[in-house]
Amino acid sequence: MVKHLVRTGLAAVSAAMLTGSGWVVPAYGADTVAVALSTTLSGSIAEVGRTGLRGIRMALDRINAQGGLLGKQVRLVSADDGAFPANGVSNVRHMILADKAVAIFGPATSAVGTAVETVAGQYRLPVFFHMANDIQITTSNFTKYAFELVPNTVMEPRAIAYYFAENVAPKAGGKKIQIATITPNYSYGRDTVEVFLKTLKELKVNFEVVAQEFPQLGATDYTSYISALLAAHPNYVFAAIFGGDLITFTKQAQGFNFFKQTKIVGFYDQVPLRVLGQDSPDGAIGWNRAPFWAESGPGFKEFLADYRAKFHDAPSAWAITGYSAAQVWAYGVRKAGSFDADKVVGALSGATVPTIRGEITLRACDHQAEVPEFIGRVSAQIDPQYGQPIYSQTVAIAASKTMLTCAQAKSRQP
Amino acid sequence: MSVDSLVVELLSAMTTAGSLFIIAAGLTLVFGAMRIANIAHGSFYMYGAFLVSSIVSSFGGTAFWFSLAVAPMIVAAIGIVVEVTVLRRVYDKDHLTQLLATYALFLILADLGLRFWGAQSRAVPAPAILSGSVRLGVASFPIYDLFVVGAAIAVGASLWALLRFTLLGWRILAAVEDAEMLAAKGTNVRLLYTTVFALGAFLAGFGGAVIAPLQSIDTGLDASIIVAAFIVVVIGGLGSVAGAAVGAVIVGLFEALGILWTPSWAPAYIYLAMIVVLQLRPSGLFGAAETT
Repeated sequence: MVKHLVRTGLAAVSAAMLTGSGWVVPAYGADTVAVALSTTLSGSIAEVGRTGLRGIRMALDRINAQGGLLGKQVRLVSADDGAFPANGVSNVRHMILADKAVAIFGPATSAVGTAVETVAGQYRLPVFFHMANDIQITTSNFTKYAFELVPNTVMEPRAIAYYFAENVAPKAGGKKIQIATITPNYSYGRDTVEVFLKTLKELKVNFEVVAQEFPQLGATDYTSYISALLAAHPNYVFAAIFGGDLITFTKQAQGFNFFKQTKIVGFYDQVPLRVLGQDSPDGAIGWNRAPFWAESGPGFKEFLADYRAKFHDAPSAWAITGYSAAQVWAYGVRKAGSFDADKVVGALSGATVPTIRGEITLRACDHQAEVPEFIGRVSAQIDPQYGQPIYSQTVAIAASKTMLTCAQAKSRQP
Repeated sequence: MSVDSLVVELLSAMTTAGSLFIIAAGLTLVFGAMRIANIAHGSFYMYGAFLVSSIVSSFGGTAFWFSLAVAPMIVAAIGIVVEVTVLRRVYDKDHLTQLLATYALFLILADLGLRFWGAQSRAVPAPAILSGSVRLGVASFPIYDLFVVGAAIAVGASLWALLRFTLLGWRILAAVEDAEMLAAKGTNVRLLYTTVFALGAFLAGFGGAVIAPLQSIDTGLDASIIVAAFIVVVIGGLGSVAGAAVGAVIVGLFEALGILWTPSWAPAYIYLAMIVVLQLRPSGLFGAAETT
C-alpha cells in the first residue's frame, strides 16, 4: 500500500506538471496583431500574475482606443503557467505558432523566465520581463531579444545594502550589527541574500551574520523559522520573502513579539501592505520595484485613477511594470515602423523610452532597463488617500549605483 | 541557545505538528477506510480558510467562533456532494483512475475557488482573546499558536472517542481492516463511505478554519499543504489516526531541529524523516502490512 501511495504521489506530481493552461482568446478580425503573456495566474502567487496582466491589458486597451499600432488593433493572448517552466515554454510556443504572436511578455517567476527567454531566442521574438528578475536573463542566459524592465537580482539587493549602509549602519554607534536572513530556497532567494551581504561587506559595514534561514517558496508555517531567528538575537532580519509568504510570515511573527525584539528589512510592496493593513510592521525597511505612491512619470496619475476606478484597489508594482512593458514594446514598434522582431529589437536597444514610470533607458550591452529600486520606511497607518499603508519616506536608489558594468555583464554572456 | 529559546522552538514545532495533524487525520481516515488517496483534501482545507475569511469579513471579527463551526460543516456538505456524484463511480476502479478523479476534483475546486473568491490575498484577524502572546522567561510565544495545539488535541481526543466508543467508529475501523467482510455482515458500506468522506472533509475544513488567522489566505493553500499532509500519513501508517498524530509530531520536530542545526538543509528534513521511518517500518509506524 505504501508503494502504491508513493507511486500515486509521483503520478500526482507529474500530472500537476503536465497540467494544461487556460486559454483566453478574444474574438479578433484581420486587422489585428497578437501579443503573448504567459504568467502565473493560479496558486499562491496568482495575484502577482493577475495584476501584471491587468497592467498590460490596460496599456493595450489604451493603444487600441487611440487607433492601434501601425493601423492594427493589438490583441493579448494570455495563459497560466502555474509557475512551471515546462508550462511556460509550451504556452509560449503555442502562442507563437498558433496565435502568431509578435511579442512576448514575461512570466512571474525566474525559473519560467529563463526558460521562456530561451524559447524567445529560438523563435526570434522580442520578450519583455516585467516581473522575473534573475540576473541570468541579462547575463549567462542572454539573448538580444530579451529586455529586463525591473531591477535584477544584483541591482535589488545592492540597492538595499546601499540604503542600509547609509541610513542604518551609522546609527549603530560603531557596534557590530547582528544580521539574520530569511529568503526562499531557490535562485532568487539565494542570489539576493548573497549579493546583499557581499555588498554590505564592500561598503565596510561592521556586521556579522547570526542566522540564515531558507524556507521553501510557498511555505505555510514559519513558526519554527521565527523562533530560530529570534533565538539568534539579531538586530536586523533581512527577509527577501514576498507576496503571500511575507504576509504569512508577518502574521505568524507578530505573536512572538518579533517586531519588538528585532527590526525587519523586507519585500513589503503594495500587496502585503494592503492585506496586513494596520498589522504592517511599523518602521520596517521595505523595498518595492514600482510603488504607486512614488511613481510620477507622464500619464501615471491618469493610470492610477483608471486602475482604482476599475479594480477598487491600488495597482501593485506588477500592474505598473506590466503597463510600462507594453509601452516599451509599442514604442519599439512605432520607432521601427514594423512588427518585425529584429527591427523592433534594434529600435529598442540603447533607446530611452517614455513610460508611466518615467523615461526608461534600455542599456545596449545587456538590455537591462536603468530603473531605480525604491526603499522606504513602512508605516502601519492607513493612508487616507489610498485606504492602505504606504511608506513614510521613499528613496529611489539609482540604477547607476547598482548595475553590473557593461564589461561585467558582457563577460558573463554566452 | 538558552532554555527559553529551546522551549519556544519546541512549542513552535508542536504548533506545526498540531496544524498538520488536524489535516492529516482526515486524510488518513479516508485513505484507511476507502483506499482513496484524496488529493482534493487540500482543496477542502483551502475552502475552510476561505469560508472563514468570507464569514468574518461579512459579519465582523466576533463571527470567527461561529465560522469555526460553520465553515467545516459547509466543507463537509461539499464533501458529501463530491462523494455521491464522483467518487462512488470509481471505488471499483484501479488506483490510477481514482487518483485522476481526485486530482481532477482538485483542479476543478481550485478554479471554482478562484472564480468565487478571486486571486486577491486575504487575511483574517485572530479574535482579541487569542491575540497577543504569553511570556516564557525572556521569550514570547503566541497565544493563538497554543490555541492551534489545543484544537489539535481536541480533534485527536474526539476521534479517539469516536473510534473507541461508537458504533460508527467501530465500523470505520472494520472498514480499514476489511471492507468486504463488513459489507457481507450487512453494514451499508456506501453510507459508511459517504459518512467517512464527509468527516474527512470536515476535518480538512476545520484545519483550514483554525489556521486562517495565521496565514495569507490565497489560492495556493490547497497545493501547499497536501504534500506535507501525505508525508505525515505515510510516516504514521495509512489509516491510523494515532499514527497521524505521531507522524505530525515527528515532522514538526524534524523540521524545527533542521532549522536550528542546518538551516540550509531544513526543507529536506521532512523528507529525511519519511525515508528513515519507511526504511525501518515500510508500512509506517502504526500501519499494518497490506494483506490483500
